[in-house]
Amino acid sequence: MTPAVMKTIPTAAGAPAAPPPDFDAPDRQGQEEKKPPYIHPELASEQSLLTVENFNLFYGQSQALHAVSLNISAGKVTALIGPSGCGKSTLLRSMNRLNDLIDGVRVTGNMTFKGQPIYDRHTDVIELRKRLGMVFQKSNPFPMSIFENVVYALRIAGERKRRKLEEVAEKSLRSAALWDEVKDRLHTSALRLSGGQQQRLCIARAIAADPEVLLMDEPCSALDPIATAKVEELIHELRGNYTVVIVTHNMQQAARVSDYTAFMYLGRLIEYGPTNTLFVTPHLKETEAYITGRFG
Amino acid sequence: MTTTDIPVNLTGNPLPAPAARRRSRGQWVDRIVHRLAAGSGVIVLLMMAALVSVLFYAAAPSIKTFGLKFFTETSWRPNALEKIKRTPEGKIIRDADGEAVVDTIPPVFGALPVIYGTAVSSAIALLFAVPMSLGTAMFLIRIAPAKLAGPVSFLVEFLAAIPSIAFGLWGLFVLAPFLQSHVEPSLNAGFGAIPGLRWLHYDGMPTGRDMLAGGLVLGIMVLPIITAVSRDVLRAVPQTQIEGTLALGATWWQSCREMLRYSRSGLFGAVMLGLARAAGETMAVTMVIGNVNQVVASPLAPAQTMASLLANQFAEADGGLHRSALLQVALILLLMSLAFNVVARALVVGKQPTVTQ
Amino acid sequence: MPIVAQNPMARVYSRFMYALCIAFALLIIGVLVLIIGYLVSIGWRSVSVSFFTENPQPYGSGRYPGGMLNGLVGTSVLLAVSGVVGIPIGILAGVYLSEYSANSKLAAPVRFVSDVLAGVPSIVVGILGYELLVVPLGGYNGWAGALALAFIMIPIVTRTTEEMLRLVPKSYREASVALGATKARTILRVVIPAATGGLVTGIMLALARVAGETAPLLFTALGTRLLTVNPNQPFPSLTKQIYNYATGPYKEQKELAWAGILVLISLILVLNVAIRLLSQRRGAR
Repeated sequence: MTPAVMKTIPTAAGAPAAPPPDFDAPDRQGQEEKKPPYIHPELASEQSLLTVENFNLFYGQSQALHAVSLNISAGKVTALIGPSGCGKSTLLRSMNRLNDLIDGVRVTGNMTFKGQPIYDRHTDVIELRKRLGMVFQKSNPFPMSIFENVVYALRIAGERKRRKLEEVAEKSLRSAALWDEVKDRLHTSALRLSGGQQQRLCIARAIAADPEVLLMDEPCSALDPIATAKVEELIHELRGNYTVVIVTHNMQQAARVSDYTAFMYLGRLIEYGPTNTLFVTPHLKETEAYITGRFG
Repeated sequence: MTTTDIPVNLTGNPLPAPAARRRSRGQWVDRIVHRLAAGSGVIVLLMMAALVSVLFYAAAPSIKTFGLKFFTETSWRPNALEKIKRTPEGKIIRDADGEAVVDTIPPVFGALPVIYGTAVSSAIALLFAVPMSLGTAMFLIRIAPAKLAGPVSFLVEFLAAIPSIAFGLWGLFVLAPFLQSHVEPSLNAGFGAIPGLRWLHYDGMPTGRDMLAGGLVLGIMVLPIITAVSRDVLRAVPQTQIEGTLALGATWWQSCREMLRYSRSGLFGAVMLGLARAAGETMAVTMVIGNVNQVVASPLAPAQTMASLLANQFAEADGGLHRSALLQVALILLLMSLAFNVVARALVVGKQPTVTQ
Repeated sequence: MPIVAQNPMARVYSRFMYALCIAFALLIIGVLVLIIGYLVSIGWRSVSVSFFTENPQPYGSGRYPGGMLNGLVGTSVLLAVSGVVGIPIGILAGVYLSEYSANSKLAAPVRFVSDVLAGVPSIVVGILGYELLVVPLGGYNGWAGALALAFIMIPIVTRTTEEMLRLVPKSYREASVALGATKARTILRVVIPAATGGLVTGIMLALARVAGETAPLLFTALGTRLLTVNPNQPFPSLTKQIYNYATGPYKEQKELAWAGILVLISLILVLNVAIRLLSQRRGAR
């Protein structure tokens, strides 16, 4: 990446009131010029667990992701940031193929998980989703007991042994730092928990499936500050045992919890690097404009 | 116009006279419209009151005569029987003129056969319709693309609009002969041959106009209502619930099962609505069920439902106990369908589990 | 190497259920097509001009079997009378539920009862009509039949009216009231005109429903072979005529019954398509 290339970039500091993201046609501006994203060199030394290569995604006619390429580092927390509509959630939901549910979605390019293709005719989507757990923006406990929520993944996999179920439930709830709060009422409805507890329950439920990656789609956006702090603390503790990809709106949160941060804008990856570097000395002007709050 | 009619503003001064007059006429119209609207609301309440009270009143003689025995008695005999009196040895007892002495056995009315007929035919209907309807609702929501779901929904709703007499005609001239010649002989033979199913065997020749035919026609008739309501109920399941199961590695069907569980009370309501319609359905059933008052286990035997009994006998009944007994049957049918509807309404409207924020 | 399944049984089962759901949907469509197709193909053969121009003729008469002119006229008259009675009451009750329910203790019971009334078996309604209008008037008559149909119509119109009026944005009412209009004027001049399409849909839905009713007419209008427009006597209707002929012994009359069903279903189909077009134009679901 040369300074010459940077100068051709039209957005950023010169125009602080820069164009707000256009949800309907994110591709309109993108097609004019192709600028390669800036990938910080530190990432080269990381071991990649999930690789995205030249990935495009279309909703019918409109393109939501443009030639995104990035590697998710094993055992690390990677944050995806960017203004709403930038495609970060779409990218996350492409990783466990949850976008398959939407009519008219089409993808091109490659995505591999541990070297195995995610978008392949022979890929077993169900198995894939078991290995890539997901936590949603709005907590979505099922209308059943806390215990049954946690062991749901085991139940649908056909596990019947009570001992095993109880063991996994306790372990997962402890990992989600929820055990002490609910151990006396495991068999009451999960819907009676508070919002923050429900979200941690959803994390416990994802962990119980023994995934290798946790995909988190703005997991704290519906939570109050105290509950948010608890979930962030939890993400900290999960680091190392799990590879975490977290989409967040909140840049402070990204700065607090993640090792690496990818900044996306209008369906493109703009800059990707170690969180500390990216937030303190961003390489590109758009990144700087965004993280200093000048747009988005 | 008296002064008290003049609207007053906040300062207590009377408003200018013309405005006051205009407004007062407006108020008068206002009051009439309000009264008419409220009156129509009261009419709706009166309709229900009339229904229940008239049937109760007219059924009173029968209720008084038979009491609870009405529900357990199996014979329905509108005419008094005359039976020649005999000695224990079997000799005819004669009076002084040599005429045989005759005992008069009064008419007797029992609702058990028709209650049984209604229950069993509705059960057959639901057995047939519920899986079909849930499967179709699932198809409409989870499988069919929007372009296909629209027309299929329309077809299903059109099925709901077909008058019951049309189903009756079809059942009588198409379904019944088909069952009689192609299905029931082998079915009956099967019932006879398999030891565990012996009780379902019918000793006569199945005619195609029997409990099974009635149940099937009813099943076809309740398909659309159960499908439409359960489609709406399933559509209300939040997308996050479906995604939540899939993200944990659930198969398509496992996530569908979660949808069914999530909306189980609403689905139960849908079934109750279907049940209410099946139990109260008259014309189609009357045309295919065979209209015989009896309690027979075999679905290949002719039967009678409450509604078909009314359709068959009410017009010919004399004014006495026979009519009153029929009215009691109508009352039971009304109360039953009210109960189904109340339960269904309570379940379909607003009893869905909610996920708190 | 692709990511592959670890326990395939659940997937097989899921595939099976997926296929089953498709099969059920196809089956329902198949049943519908079968029934409609049969009714149409048989009915088509029996429909003739005389169906619309002749009254039923007894067996043995020269013009046997005749047609169902009396039933067509009778059903039209019954629909008209029941509509004249049922539609205003239904709409007014719907207006009441939508516009006056705010601080009324009556509204909740009215809404509940009209919901439940919509599920009352129609034969029971016919029996009520017999007890209230046939016994006191001394014989079967058209009024009783028409009022029994109105009884069925009212809850349907009430509920659709309420739903349709609730779709009218609150701002319309506020704008009208802010201009100094009374509540009644607001309802009559703003709310109801804004919801006209929806109200018409509800009315046609109710008419389509009662046009096919037979059970409530069995003990009220009774039916007659004659053409009459005098509701003080037993009154003919298409559905009752069909029922009589279908369950009767003569082949020619059964064919007439099929023709009658075809005419009836065509009528209901036309009403349904009209309802659908109307509600699509209004953007309601």
